[in-house]
Amino acid sequence: MSSNFNITDQQRDYSKYGLSGNPFPYSPVPAENPEIFCGQSHVSEKISSTVSTVLSTGKSKHLVVTGKYGNGKSHTLKYTRSLLRDHDDVIVGYVAQPGEGFLDIYHEFVYDLGFSHLQNLSYEYLASITRECTDESPEGAAEMRSLIDEGDVLLPEIIPEAIRELSDITKFADFARAIVHMIYEDTNLYAWQWLTAEGIRYEQRKEMEIHSALDDDTMGVRAFTALKNMLLDLGYTAVFVFVDEFESIARLSPKYEQATLNSVRHLMDQNSSGLCLLFGCAPEVWQDVMSEYHAFSERIGQEVTLKPLTSDHLYNLIHDYLALERLSAEEETDLRPFTEESLNVILQRSQGNVRQILALCSRLLDDAVDADYDVISTEVVEEAF
Amino acid sequence: MLYRRRTIDLPHGKLNTPVFFPVRNIGKRSSDNTPSYVGSIPDLPVAMINTRAIRNRTPMWDRLLNGVTLREEMGVPEDTIVFADSGGFDFSSGEVDTTPKKTLEAQRQLDADIYGTVDVPLSREKRAAENQRRVNQSIEYALEASDQHSGEALLFASVHGYDPETVRNCIAHLEKFGDFDGYALGSMVPIRSDYKKVTKLILSARTATDKHLHVYGLGGLVYQPLLLYLGVDSFDSSAFIRGAGNRNYLIPGFGGEELQDIEQLERLPCPCPVCGTRTLDDIREDRSALVQHNLWALATELRRFQYVAESGRNIEDYLDLRFQGNEVTSRAYQTAKQQVRRLT
Repeated sequence: MSSNFNITDQQRDYSKYGLSGNPFPYSPVPAENPEIFCGQSHVSEKISSTVSTVLSTGKSKHLVVTGKYGNGKSHTLKYTRSLLRDHDDVIVGYVAQPGEGFLDIYHEFVYDLGFSHLQNLSYEYLASITRECTDESPEGAAEMRSLIDEGDVLLPEIIPEAIRELSDITKFADFARAIVHMIYEDTNLYAWQWLTAEGIRYEQRKEMEIHSALDDDTMGVRAFTALKNMLLDLGYTAVFVFVDEFESIARLSPKYEQATLNSVRHLMDQNSSGLCLLFGCAPEVWQDVMSEYHAFSERIGQEVTLKPLTSDHLYNLIHDYLALERLSAEEETDLRPFTEESLNVILQRSQGNVRQILALCSRLLDDAVDADYDVISTEVVEEAF
Repeated sequence: MLYRRRTIDLPHGKLNTPVFFPVRNIGKRSSDNTPSYVGSIPDLPVAMINTRAIRNRTPMWDRLLNGVTLREEMGVPEDTIVFADSGGFDFSSGEVDTTPKKTLEAQRQLDADIYGTVDVPLSREKRAAENQRRVNQSIEYALEASDQHSGEALLFASVHGYDPETVRNCIAHLEKFGDFDGYALGSMVPIRSDYKKVTKLILSARTATDKHLHVYGLGGLVYQPLLLYLGVDSFDSSAFIRGAGNRNYLIPGFGGEELQDIEQLERLPCPCPVCGTRTLDDIREDRSALVQHNLWALATELRRFQYVAESGRNIEDYLDLRFQGNEVTSRAYQTAKQQVRRLT
């Protein structure tokens, strides 16, 4: 047996540095629900202002966050999403990248909401109809489900009314039928597939009496608008759509790129209230969009740029990460085992790029434990490069 | 496994379930030309009749009003147990021409043991909104019947729905707002070739209530073991008469066989009192004998299932064998098995 490998599940001991573990990610990709947002106050202020305006006025407002790769666009969008998820009266969906066109954005948005969430929205809508048509007054999805299960409310009494009213609100009868079919175990997967624009067979559509296929950008805009209108009718304040890696539209052919931007523009035009689009985009692509597609960029109007970190940002970032694993609360403001000098070298070498900083700090901390260093000095950092 | 045996007390005697109700055609065009079976097939002291058909056949209805009993009219013993459905199947395409009150009065006049409430069956072709209206209408009729019913016979609410939620929801609603001795699931005939759907609907009804569960119109050889496995207490069918009209010979475990396909055989494979001593030609020429044999076949199918259950054999093994020859029914059974296993 070769002795070149030494595989073990033994954890490193970081207690020497007052830490219970390595707080830095080995693979610095944004967490689904980030706990830390550090520095870049001009960005957080701009996002807060945009989001707050939508929440307080109900009017639509959009923003693009630019920044070079690794400067934290995805992290910023996901952090904002995690904050918004605490609000009961908004719906928020994250789209990792725009794909081939608006239909893909719509698909990813609905997918991010998830089957259960959409099914609950269907029950919520039935609850609103039940309050109108019967003596029952269910408050939400769970109560509505229970009323159906217990037989307090008769499905054939409320379903036709639900489809009729939802068709009026959304101006899209097929969408109304698909939403209602989310509660039927025989058809809810077909309904989900239709609503996510995955495509279903004609027979499956026929079973739900859905006549149209949701298979192009125009239908995607229509379905999104229908969904948003339903949500506003249910009392939600706004729908937030976070589209990350928007720069990837540049790899589409000019025809499809134009079509995608036009669809997003139509979406904004058709939704003057209750919609907030937040884009993450590489600055060079956004410059092109600004110069070539005025109709689109003018509707967004606002841009904020994530810059490389400064030394103050960096110290705060390292503090916050180390605090996640600190054994003692007193040490939470400490930078140990890093020194300000070593962090300055890290900043210089990484050019303030967050992704590189986190990857480097993670590696340096493990190396320091293995080599039993007292601190991570500038020499140690120099050696790592 | 949801199969169960029960005994229910009825005005004309005790009834052991699960049981098959042969549909009598009394009141229909040719009046009651069903050959006698009550007494000769001891498992079937029962009959399913159509209240509306009898009520609308004026000469017969007059006789019944003037003292002739329904059982005399049918030529069966007075202790024959009768299930009178509303005749709702006739409303599939036409307008409802009765009320729950009128139907109950007619069912009382017929001295039936079990009343089925007025119902408006669903159509597969009809728009969903129209079918929702029909489901709703049937529920309203059932609740009205519940209010009018004085308890002299059992009252089964007729329930319809092409999806499990509607079936469960309707039964729960009726259970909460009405007073019923059991439930009868209808509208299965138009979708009977969709075995998976039918078994899911039946299972949703079975899980929604512990009371007696009847399934309208599905009592043929293929469906019977599935219904028993799913815990259905009773079912009915006129397939034995209609089949005989087409010279269709039912063979337990096999299904139907058209007699025209059999040429050389002298005797048929069934040892029932009808076939045991007669030649193929005798049976071929005697429609009544064929009807009676078909009833024996249905009774045998039921007996066979009961034997497997009572002797402690594995029913699922029996059904695996029973359905192995047909891919469609086999798939339906496999689906039902998965669902039943989650419940037991």
